Amino acid sequence: MKNSPIADLSYRHYDGPLNGGATRWWSIAKLSIQLAMKKKGFWVWAVLSGYWYYILLAVFWFVESFIPSPVPGKHPLLSAIIWKDQFSNAFNISQLLLFVIALLIGTGTIANDNRANALLVYLSKPCTKLDYIIGKWMGVFIPITIVSLIPTLFFFAYGGLSFQEYGFISDWWLLPKLVLICCLPGALHASLCIGISSLFNQGRIAGAVYSGLFFLPWFFTKAMQVVYVVLSNNDNPKGKASLKFVGNLYYASMDGIQIGVSKAILNTGGSALFPGGGSPRGTQFVPIPPPNGTAITVIFIAICVIFSGIAWLRVRAVEVV
Amino acid sequence: MIELQNTSRWYGQVIGVNDVTAKITPGITALLGMNGSGKTTLIRLITGQLRPTTGRVLVHGMEPFANPEVFKKLGYCPEIDNFYEHYSGRRFVNFMARLSGLTAKQASDKTEELLHWVGMSDRADKSIKGYSKGMRQRIKLAQAMVHNPDIILLDEPLNGLDPVGRHELMSVLEALANQGKTIMVSSHILFEVEQMTRSLLLLHRGRLLATGDLQAIRQLIDKHPHKVRIEAEDARGLASRLSSLPNVISLRIADNNRELHLEVNDPDSFYEALTSIAVDESWPIASFNSPDNNLESVFRYLVEA
Amino acid sequence: MKLIDIKNLTVRYRTFTALRDFSCEIEEGCTGLLGPNGAGKTTFLKTLLGFVTPTEGGGTVLGLNIATDGRMIRQSIGLMPEQECHIPGLTAVGYVAYAGELAGMPADQAIRRAHEVLEYCGLGEARYRNVETFSTGMKQRTKLAQAMIHGPKLLLLDEPTNGLDPTGREDMLSPIRDISHGKGVNVVVSSHLLPDIERVCDRVVVVMGGQLRTQGSIKDLKHLSGRPYDVDLREPNEQFIANLTQQGATVEALKYTSLRVITNREPSESVKLILETAKNCGARVRGLTPAERSLEAAFMEVINS
Repeated sequence: MKNSPIADLSYRHYDGPLNGGATRWWSIAKLSIQLAMKKKGFWVWAVLSGYWYYILLAVFWFVESFIPSPVPGKHPLLSAIIWKDQFSNAFNISQLLLFVIALLIGTGTIANDNRANALLVYLSKPCTKLDYIIGKWMGVFIPITIVSLIPTLFFFAYGGLSFQEYGFISDWWLLPKLVLICCLPGALHASLCIGISSLFNQGRIAGAVYSGLFFLPWFFTKAMQVVYVVLSNNDNPKGKASLKFVGNLYYASMDGIQIGVSKAILNTGGSALFPGGGSPRGTQFVPIPPPNGTAITVIFIAICVIFSGIAWLRVRAVEVV
Repeated sequence: MIELQNTSRWYGQVIGVNDVTAKITPGITALLGMNGSGKTTLIRLITGQLRPTTGRVLVHGMEPFANPEVFKKLGYCPEIDNFYEHYSGRRFVNFMARLSGLTAKQASDKTEELLHWVGMSDRADKSIKGYSKGMRQRIKLAQAMVHNPDIILLDEPLNGLDPVGRHELMSVLEALANQGKTIMVSSHILFEVEQMTRSLLLLHRGRLLATGDLQAIRQLIDKHPHKVRIEAEDARGLASRLSSLPNVISLRIADNNRELHLEVNDPDSFYEALTSIAVDESWPIASFNSPDNNLESVFRYLVEA
Repeated sequence: MKLIDIKNLTVRYRTFTALRDFSCEIEEGCTGLLGPNGAGKTTFLKTLLGFVTPTEGGGTVLGLNIATDGRMIRQSIGLMPEQECHIPGLTAVGYVAYAGELAGMPADQAIRRAHEVLEYCGLGEARYRNVETFSTGMKQRTKLAQAMIHGPKLLLLDEPTNGLDPTGREDMLSPIRDISHGKGVNVVVSSHLLPDIERVCDRVVVVMGGQLRTQGSIKDLKHLSGRPYDVDLREPNEQFIANLTQQGATVEALKYTSLRVITNREPSESVKLILETAKNCGARVRGLTPAERSLEAAFMEVINS
């Protein structure tokens, strides 16, 4: 039979290697990432998410080319920049775009699986609920973290090479802090997405709910920011007393929490690009101090755990048969 | 009685039913066809849910589309499984009874009667959400019959039932047919359909391919001469004896040397000759039969042509 | 080593006992799993996959303990679930390859084998299309492919022919029969369609009321004692029946024009008698075969006893 000129193309066995369970979550995450990368929108928003850095680069180029330094040597404008605050600004500004990316790639995951009954396939293989949840979580965490990391690290490298004389790297802890900060949106969005997605059968409805959850507090916190600015410019003593409270309310939203933790890590309240510039009172940038570091971190972790927990409970070990 | 006169129905460019002319008389008629051949469209035309794009559909002489007079005479047991899930079975059947015009008292009496008849009296108070497939089928049947219709149309009623459930349903349908009702059953489970009736309506890609009695149809499929399988001790000897018969078209001796597979035309005279040969010439024959004289073979021959 | 060896298995869900002191041994080959709805078949399959912890008793599947080695069992078994299921957004190849990866295959092996298996299941060019665009038959075959991809030695198929038209049924049953006869893969098929079970399986296990009712080869179950014969006539013939009865045979009328005749003589004598009587009475015999119970009839007898 083996030497027959005609091959037997009917069923043959598979006796090849079979991996153990440790890499199961990676197969699941890999699929989510591949599906995400296929979407054109993902790439568009990903590139746009670092736009503060593009602005910075443009501004620096402009300053260096067209505004000559009155004093030979260091440029006073550039000397006044607080570098870590720029990272903070970039992070704050990218929040909205990272949310859009999460909406695009994250909210459909478990919802679509519910509709297609995919869990039957997963559980009939040597794949546990834990593998599934971790795989789905990683499938959202990894792309968002990478999207957040790349422009940040790129700018860090650029700054480290070009602006060292302006005190760019004054604190070597900046790099690990930045990496940590870039992991925040990934973690939060991953938890929220899989939690909300597991509650519904349709990706669209999950997306709508997630948008609602994001935008309603977002309007609230932007309003708080305005209130803060008004109160701090106003000389009313009662206003000043409630300033701290309003300042903390500024962090009461999905992006706010991330901004709060990032500010606590960087230990900064933010600053304008060129602080000390002579803008009239009332339009000056008012830094909002970071909230209590421990408190906001606990809240952040609690949210991640709660929503991941929702996903864990909702993804029932379905009646497979 | 149901009459279709050159009925066609299409959806945009997709043809549902193409120029079908047929009469469906009292008794059980099997509506057969591959998936997508137009069976559900045909049933929807008869139940008045769709209007034919050309041609006419007449139920007891009236057009069924949006015609409550006709609806009173029709019972429809659809394939899909959509109910008001939060209703109990009893409440649902009662609701359907009221919808067909029965008074409150009549409706509740009939509901109880039918629930008893389909064997759901004790289980009908739970909400439909928790019902198994078999229970759902029974409720569907009950609601189709609650207003005592003359005509009952069932789309895949045997799907998902276990053999016990299937037998019960089939005896119910037979009893109804004996009462003179017109029943049309659409099903893929051919061996069950064969038990219920020999009268069929076969659709293929929207067109009517065959209608009438199974045996009559089989006779007419010239392209596939009748197969005969004979088991005998001396198969080769018998083969040479039979090869002289004029209506034997082909002869094949099976691997085990005990079986003959023949193709014949005019099976009637062949079998007569075979019986004579077996008796008069004392040929020992163990068994013989026609392997393709069943619904499944006829279906396959007609559809693949 | 027995394929599946279950001893005194009891499974209790809170107050409801699904399986009670259930013991069975399933041998290699193709076995059918039969039973009415709610008999405990589903629970049995779930237990085989290691999803349910037994309240009492236990057993082994392919030598692995069902209570502790659930994960290993699922790596050595393939399951084709009854319900529709797929991974959204993937082509057939992508889906089956992904299923392979979930079972532990390296990614490159998974793709290669996905193509092989889809070819075997009869999905040609269609494998590059999104699964969501498939017809029911193609979806079912893709489900079969994803069960087979990691080369399991035991396949569990739950209602594989559900919703398929007759051609689709054939397309599904031929690979199943092929794999289990000669290719060394063992199959357990759970289905309500007994002719399909007859087509592919050699043995059956009947479950009812949470217990094992019977298990054995299909041939044995179908066997009828007394060597009766099934006679198919062209049209009814009363004289034929009368004559046979006169000569000491018992004649029972079956569906349409079929008769079951018991003559209490040797087989060759029986055939001779029947054919002679037929010739004398002018009865046109179209079929004469040793009678067997259909599997369905055998099943109903087991259930009702």
